[in-house]
Amino acid sequence: MTQPAPLVPAAAAAPHPRRGPDLLLPAALLAVAGAVVRALYFTPVDALQGPAQKIFYLHVPSAFTALYVAFPLLAIASGVYLWLRDDRLDRFAESTAEVGLVYMTVVLVTGPIWAKPIWGTWWTWDARLTLTLFLWFIILGYLVLRGAVDDRAMRARYSAVLGVLALLLVPFIHLSVYLFRTLHPKPIVLKPDAPSMPPEMLTTLLLSFAAFLLLFVALVRLRFRLGSERDARDRLHLED
Amino acid sequence: MPSNEGYMYAAYIAAAIVYLGYAASLMVRARRLRDRH
Repeated sequence: MTQPAPLVPAAAAAPHPRRGPDLLLPAALLAVAGAVVRALYFTPVDALQGPAQKIFYLHVPSAFTALYVAFPLLAIASGVYLWLRDDRLDRFAESTAEVGLVYMTVVLVTGPIWAKPIWGTWWTWDARLTLTLFLWFIILGYLVLRGAVDDRAMRARYSAVLGVLALLLVPFIHLSVYLFRTLHPKPIVLKPDAPSMPPEMLTTLLLSFAAFLLLFVALVRLRFRLGSERDARDRLHLED
Repeated sequence: MPSNEGYMYAAYIAAAIVYLGYAASLMVRARRLRDRH
């Protein structure tokens, strides 16, 4: 059976000329800085948890972006890649996986820092935390797999299958707080009823969501460009 | 109200290191790629 030809012609994949400064990343970083300043200095302190509760404005948007934006996009791009075999989809999947892993790392670092003063322990092997750690390892495995396979088409195909399968953990992670006894609190925004928090806190949370989403877009865009440039230069190198 | 401000700052500093470190790594990788070819 012959391999399908890449949909992107070699000429279109040629290295891009040197671009001007990318303004989206500084804009996203400024938005995140603004959201952080609002969270730390202009949002009321929780009466029960104290200042540590403000980790919420960092932990929850990072988790939301990784679980409900990055990994669904990874699965969609991977699934469509298996159908169309377009290199751009593979590069996009790779970019969302890498940036999603960064977001998940922040979730796994900030979670224990929040847990220690509130739960009295850095970590507990309950369903929510353990499944989140599993997903982190699966995405890490996805990126390690990509580095281990030299053949471009084979690498893209294998990693696309893993990219689709990784998404299967997301509903389990979401539902784990309902299905199992866990220390982790239930969702207070992504639930059937109205969000259960004061308006000032909700506004800060929504601003943080927007800022971290913008940062995600900026990082994926930068990573996608890097992948495009790398592939185009590799192609030219092979042709020489 | 519990006094646990240190944990709050520790979490924000750790997150800043991860996010900014990753953004910087992307820039370094792009520069290395251009220099290599």
